[in-house]
Amino acid sequence: MRETYGKILPGMDLSHVNGKLIVIEGTDGAGRTTQIELLKPWLEELGHAVLDTGMTRSTLAGDGIRRAKEGVNLGRVTQNLFYATDFVDRFENAIVPALRAGFIVLTDRYVYSLMARAIVRGADAQWIRSIYSVALKPDAVFYLRLGIEQLVPRVVFSRGFDYWESGMDLYPGQDMYESFCNYQTALLAEFDRLSEEFKFETVDASADVRSVFSQLKVKILGLLENDSRKQFVSMLAMRANGGVMLKAEEDAIAAAARKHSVTRDLELVSRPFTAHTSSGNGNGHSTIQNLKP
Amino acid sequence: MGISPGMQGGGFEAGAAIRAATSTAKKRGEHQFPGKLFVVEGIDGSGKSTQLSLLHKWLQSRGFGVVFSEWNSSPLVKDTTKLGKKKKLLTPATFSLIHSTDFADRTERSILPLLKAGAVVLCDRYMYTAFARDVARGMDREWVRDLYGFAVQPTVAFYFRVPLETAIGRLLDARDGFKFYEAGMDLGLSDDAEESFRLFQGRIIDEYEKMIPEFGLTVIDATLPIEIQQTRVRQIVKSHIANAAELRMQP
Repeated sequence: MRETYGKILPGMDLSHVNGKLIVIEGTDGAGRTTQIELLKPWLEELGHAVLDTGMTRSTLAGDGIRRAKEGVNLGRVTQNLFYATDFVDRFENAIVPALRAGFIVLTDRYVYSLMARAIVRGADAQWIRSIYSVALKPDAVFYLRLGIEQLVPRVVFSRGFDYWESGMDLYPGQDMYESFCNYQTALLAEFDRLSEEFKFETVDASADVRSVFSQLKVKILGLLENDSRKQFVSMLAMRANGGVMLKAEEDAIAAAARKHSVTRDLELVSRPFTAHTSSGNGNGHSTIQNLKP
Repeated sequence: MGISPGMQGGGFEAGAAIRAATSTAKKRGEHQFPGKLFVVEGIDGSGKSTQLSLLHKWLQSRGFGVVFSEWNSSPLVKDTTKLGKKKKLLTPATFSLIHSTDFADRTERSILPLLKAGAVVLCDRYMYTAFARDVARGMDREWVRDLYGFAVQPTVAFYFRVPLETAIGRLLDARDGFKFYEAGMDLGLSDDAEESFRLFQGRIIDEYEKMIPEFGLTVIDATLPIEIQQTRVRQIVKSHIANAAELRMQP
């Protein structure tokens, strides 16, 4: 059964939250958004329903936050709580319903980014953790890590300095470059600390886009292998036997499935789904035959 | 305060929540600003706003620098709250969070700096309103208290205690009907607004009653004549500002 980080929101039933919650974390410019744009169509091709979500995309608070950030009147505590409102709105109305419907949820940042930003802005670490104790523990957190020396050119040369990304609310009086370096260095240090505490899987984000994508694919396939593939194989076997499956047969299929490599998994998972969508008539039986040792 | 039944083991959860609550309590006790903070609490129709307004006029007439701050009035957050209420987007959790955001904005931009500057600050509703309403909506008691860990402990928090029927009578005399969230219609307690209001406000009263010892709220019997309540309020306020000459704008 799913777990949260401590508290459960009213009306939240954790018993059938069966999808996969995959978090892509990292500082600004680490390529999170690019990777999600690649991962989503790839997962959909494999036959998974995918929801992608990210900061300030809530119906409730997204516009309010954007308006508040246009001025320089947004206090630190207020900012943290506004983001928490945005997060919980998406959490209750998008993330959890999607997981309950069996989706893979790809989230561009999660509570960790929000914690890091808050802590860097002087918030009490326990206070911010208490607020986000209502969040679900994800199935995986991939931390796209970029050192400060790579981060500066990537962010600054592509879109210039942004007031908030440069932490200008924190270091008024500095020029944007100094402020940016100080702010992003402090964020990196906090991310590294959170990475240990919450067992992030670190991916070197200084590599090129394709190689980061490949690494993420391998990790995600490993994650999906355990239950969803097994379930799928069982389902096919059930169909092959007219709905009845013997325990021994199930075990044999599972054992056989374990022997196959990740590449093989990819074929196995993708092929029948492709067949379904193209002809509406799956050839599951032959797939099972292929699996027999 | 014990740990609520909603809590589970593992991760940073239980221990951290307790530590947070402790550090919060510690922080609240530390307020040493020169200003004074008086807040009024109570259900709708308890007459608390009338009492605060009378107190406001009295303090002004005596030359104090007084500033008034109302619940749910931050210009930065107002549109979001309005959107949430109008489109009925708010769940108990987001209802709680958006109100805490509003309160944080008023705390950071107005209440805290004013207290530092030595003003008398009057608040119509304070964090206790959130503690009562959010818990009545099913939010976890400790979670909501932790959420307001940034709030300043008031000099005096008045609780205007009134029987539910008296408050409903006053409200029905003054206007027709109840608003959706005010009546707790989001909880589905009853399809009838008045009945829903009754049930929801009943829960809120229960929460207020528990907070009297927890936070040392000063109880005022809100069924007494307005003048008698005001005399009592002024006496208490006076005892806290009698020697505070620095709070005065003019002799």
